[in-house]
Amino acid sequence: MTAEKAPAGRHYLDVWGVAKSFKGTRVMSDMNFRVERGELVSLLGPSGCGKSTLLRIIAGLLDADEGSVVLDGRDITRQPAHKRNISVVFQNYALFPHLTVAENVAFGLRARGMAKGATGAPVADALALVRMTEFADRPIAALSGGQQQRVAVARALVVGPDLLLLDEPFSALDRKLRETMQVELKSLLLDRGITAIFVTHDQEEAMGVSDRIAVMNAGRIEQFADPSTLYSRPASPFVMDFVGLSTRLEAVSKGRDGDLTVFDTAYGKVRAQENIPAGTRALVGVRPELVKPGEGENRIATTLADVMVLGSKTVLHGGAGEVDRILCELPGIRSGMARGDKVELGWAVGDTLVYGMAS
Amino acid sequence: MTSRIDRISLLAVPGLAYLAVIYALPLLILLAKSIRTPDGISFAEYAAFFSDDYNMGVLLRTLRVAALTTLLALLIAYPTAFAMNRAKGPMLTVFLVAMVLPMSLGVVVKAFAWSILFRANGFINTSLQWIGLTEKPVRMLFTETALVIGAANVFLPFMVLPIYAVVRQLDQRLPEAAASLGATPFFRFFHVTLPLTLPGVVAGSAFTFSMAISMYVIPSLIVGERQQTLSMLIARSFLYLRNEALGSTISAVLLAIAIIVVVFSSWLARRLEARQ
Repeated sequence: MTAEKAPAGRHYLDVWGVAKSFKGTRVMSDMNFRVERGELVSLLGPSGCGKSTLLRIIAGLLDADEGSVVLDGRDITRQPAHKRNISVVFQNYALFPHLTVAENVAFGLRARGMAKGATGAPVADALALVRMTEFADRPIAALSGGQQQRVAVARALVVGPDLLLLDEPFSALDRKLRETMQVELKSLLLDRGITAIFVTHDQEEAMGVSDRIAVMNAGRIEQFADPSTLYSRPASPFVMDFVGLSTRLEAVSKGRDGDLTVFDTAYGKVRAQENIPAGTRALVGVRPELVKPGEGENRIATTLADVMVLGSKTVLHGGAGEVDRILCELPGIRSGMARGDKVELGWAVGDTLVYGMAS
Repeated sequence: MTSRIDRISLLAVPGLAYLAVIYALPLLILLAKSIRTPDGISFAEYAAFFSDDYNMGVLLRTLRVAALTTLLALLIAYPTAFAMNRAKGPMLTVFLVAMVLPMSLGVVVKAFAWSILFRANGFINTSLQWIGLTEKPVRMLFTETALVIGAANVFLPFMVLPIYAVVRQLDQRLPEAAASLGATPFFRFFHVTLPLTLPGVVAGSAFTFSMAISMYVIPSLIVGERQQTLSMLIARSFLYLRNEALGSTISAVLLAIAIIVVVFSSWLARRLEARQ
């Protein structure tokens, strides 16, 4: 480990050079992750990418082998969880089953030494905030999933945490409720200026709730950017695939043609602005809503493998499975196209994403 | 639907019939003997029992020994259950074998083994004198202390296993959630871990207490005739004094205590579970 000190105070949360091994297997090394005050940030990635490990290290539920965690200028790396003032909303909420709703919310206040009689007002405020006032005296087992989540949020916020961590907070809810709760929770956190980190594997959820998203893969952050940058300019094929869908074609560079690079694909020539040396293998991608039938400088001909009418959009599938996949998303319901139709799909050169592959 | 449930409930018949003939019937006869005197139905035996200082002394000693045995077993079993919960693979097997194997050894063998440990020139006394803590052998065999230590050893599995069963069910994120809410390890234990494992403690204590209150072989071998317990008193009444009325009376008292323990503990367990 290097003797350098973390640049304390530069960022609200500064995770610096963190490494972690489980039973000799390195799951995370030299992790750097910074969050500013009042930001809502998501750690997004598939299971096993290290997002939960990072969350637990920040919370103090797991010790980092190396590196440091600095929160608001305090080095909390060696502090136990109960001294950090970081609240966690767990995946299945981890509400105390032997306590009522109000007692659950009061727990953090009581743990901090507040007298039983004094917890009434702050607990009532917190329950009002999540619209659970009338459930104060109910046992936890009598609540639905959404209600339990509200209680978990109230319990986490009533203590006035410096940082709120949420581990897959919506995954136990059904789809409709999930969307409602996302909107509700986001505005609650924004109104109160709370700095929060969500852990999720759901890219829509991450894009919906966060100012910035850190896409994680195999213990590393592949890209840390705002949702629109992440979507329109993914930094790696992994990010392109994990955040949203896209057309992806295997390609080989044929070298420059004026300002553009020409690529050979199984579906014909594609041009892009990135300079990729001739002979290099590459992956070419484009977001589906940017693809239009019979428009754009880049044109490829394909046979439709499927046409899915989804109501708000119609999705055309072409290409051959995982290697070459062609997707075109058209707004609204489009009729007159069917599986087996031969179509020419196109998009603008500027919308083309290119990733050179090490040969 | 109802007929189906009725048919399944028929499966309880062999067990109930067995209990009725082997357990309930003899017990009723026994209880009848405690209130049947030559002058008709009378509770005179009970009045005599409770007004006798010696008998009351035995009753109190029996309760005290059972309570101390339960307490000692609980103090050893509670951390053991958590250690077992943490243990994996071969280590867990070692724990479980260590729990079950001594049960197959038989109390008599164990009691003689303890007497080697506890006697005047036994292992403990020799060690104490060798260290220099005591000059003369300390009297341990034939004392209540030795009885409590021995009984706790015998009943330990009945305390550990119910607690272990509850600890295993404990959601590990609950203490973590408590920690993230600012609870110290001490606060977490008394406000989360302990309340949630209390049903196991109640069950284990009820088992241990009801077995400790009616134990006969262990006190006979460890403390002998000098300090009687209720069970020994019952045996003496039947076997030596041939006083069936006295024996049945003490049996009824013992049974009453056991029933109180069982009813109270199951009420407590239900109450604790209702909260969860």
